[in-house]
Amino acid sequence: MDESRKRVKSDCEELLSRFQTTDSVRFEVFSKIWREMKFSEIFYGTEGREKRTFSQLILDTASRFLLPPFSFQIRVGGLYLLYSLYKCQIASPPEQIRLALKDWEDIKKFEKDAVDAQHLDAVYILRQLMLQKAFHFTAMPTMLAFRKKRKMEKSPLCEEFLERASRPQELINIELLDELSNIHDLYDKLKTSVTSKSEQSSSVNLIRKDLVPQLRSSVVDFYKWQQKKCSKRADRLASIKSKAYGQAAEVCVSRVNTEILFYFHFNK
Amino acid sequence: MAAAKESTDLNANIPDYEYADVNTKAFHIGSFRNEWLKRLKPSSYSYEREDEDTFDANFAKDMGISAETMADLKSVCSVDSLRCHPEDQTPDPDVVPEDPTLKTLIQRKKKQDHKASLKLTKNRHSLYADELERLTFGREPDAVTDIIPEGEVILTINVYYPAIIDKFSYIRPHMTLLMTGSHSLAELRDAICCVSDLQVCGEFSSTPDMAPDFISKDHFKSAFFFFEGVFYNDMRFPECQDISMTTIEWAKARNFPPYSQSKMEDTRFADLTVKVGFPYLYCHQGDCEHLVIITDVRLAHKNDCLDKKLYPLLTHKHRVITKKCTVCHVFIGRWLTTNDPFAPSDPCLFCDKCFRMLHYDAEGIKLGDFLAYPYVDPGAFN
Ligand SMILES: [Zn+2]
Ligand SMILES: [Zn+2]
Repeated sequence: MDESRKRVKSDCEELLSRFQTTDSVRFEVFSKIWREMKFSEIFYGTEGREKRTFSQLILDTASRFLLPPFSFQIRVGGLYLLYSLYKCQIASPPEQIRLALKDWEDIKKFEKDAVDAQHLDAVYILRQLMLQKAFHFTAMPTMLAFRKKRKMEKSPLCEEFLERASRPQELINIELLDELSNIHDLYDKLKTSVTSKSEQSSSVNLIRKDLVPQLRSSVVDFYKWQQKKCSKRADRLASIKSKAYGQAAEVCVSRVNTEILFYFHFNK
Repeated sequence: MAAAKESTDLNANIPDYEYADVNTKAFHIGSFRNEWLKRLKPSSYSYEREDEDTFDANFAKDMGISAETMADLKSVCSVDSLRCHPEDQTPDPDVVPEDPTLKTLIQRKKKQDHKASLKLTKNRHSLYADELERLTFGREPDAVTDIIPEGEVILTINVYYPAIIDKFSYIRPHMTLLMTGSHSLAELRDAICCVSDLQVCGEFSSTPDMAPDFISKDHFKSAFFFFEGVFYNDMRFPECQDISMTTIEWAKARNFPPYSQSKMEDTRFADLTVKVGFPYLYCHQGDCEHLVIITDVRLAHKNDCLDKKLYPLLTHKHRVITKKCTVCHVFIGRWLTTNDPFAPSDPCLFCDKCFRMLHYDAEGIKLGDFLAYPYVDPGAFN
């Protein structure tokens, strides 16, 4: 079972990585790759009960790509993959896609991002799956039968598919630095007011004078390093999130844009 | 402060892993259900499907697109665009295609070719599993009142038997049952079949007609489930004893964390706080212990068996090979004899017919000095 899980995962990753190289989130592009790989055939040759267990196995595997920490493009690919697998499975009635309660907020956020960027095909397919009752609303992503894993071998997440971290930028934003700088000044003044000039040196100097500029430059360094690490292509990929369906990009405040705004703000 | 407390309490009902991919932290089943219902539109868990035209109209309006764009979108996203073969061909989905490139198919082809060379027939086990499934999918009740309400939870429960260690494999046979949130633990108990509930004690060679038929659960009515520090005792019958008391006292005397007790028949699954994927205990007949694992909790779906009366619903049952009569090799063994001059072995197993023919004369008089015990085959439930 473990081996067949690995093979299924690797087949899904192959499809998604071909999708990734197209820099697209269009279903048209996805379905072309699906046909080229003859992916519908992945269900062929399963018999009896295996029809059902295999459907469940591949849907469980694919549904992970719909969730963080994968990039927006991979998650759209994951959505298309789930839809296509759900529609092409040969088990009848079809096996449902499991959706865990803890992952619901992520799906709603994903839907909102897709709506904001007018990715009509992604929104349509997600809502079609809802309409067709393709989901089981579950406690956990998979059934749990206390099967202890023989090897604690954690299947690695495909590095290429991951969303770049932007938490430092999000956390340490301009407002926070302003606020921090204010508090810092106030604190400094308070300390000065309660101590005489002579004894000031040791106790007051316990706070760092240059805290705010240092924090700022660390985040900027992180951002620069991240930019260097990621290729130009990865940047384009990230910007896909804000590209509209079929036509020129609509203005949309995506995370990517905030990052760039932030960068310029600090470097002017 | 009150708001902060409430929000942490809320999170406790959103199941998450205690050990990744193994089991969850404990959560309250009924509250978990409410959390889902709070988030979903009723149409999402309704058994009715919204009509396609209404969906299209709403979608176009919502996204601010024209009817023309909507039509384009539908055609781009159609299932036809996923077809991997020419339109005029219909491939056989039971056969692995020639020269596959997907890793899954390459392996499946190998397996299928190997199987074909062995000419294996489908084993009894999977045939039986298919049978169970066919019976239950999308079953709707005759009476409207018997339908499982929309938004009800369905639990999948595995009940394990003591492990069988075969020559080469280690099998842990189990049965799988589906139950709803409104079922009580007593209903789960009644659905668990275990041979030890049928065991008849005693020697009946002189009075074979006195040996009771399969008598169920009559000897020791006491039983309990143990979930998260609580013993749920079966107290439905006057002769039931609270067999958990000994354990509770014992634990108290040794400063163990306190255990409490409750009644099986008064506890619905929706009232339970449990971990999914975690092994719990069912104990009956004094010392027959079974592991019980809730493997899944989810909202009911339109393809589920919706007839309340068919629950607890058996979806999997380990088939045990039955032991046949030593004489006729046709019927299942019902009598075990020892010290038996007519038997080729000691002990020896007979079906009822062969047993009586060999051991009694026409008037029913016992022939010889043997001892006879009623025998219940573990496969008698198949
Ligand atoms: Zn038992
Ligand atoms: Zn016989």
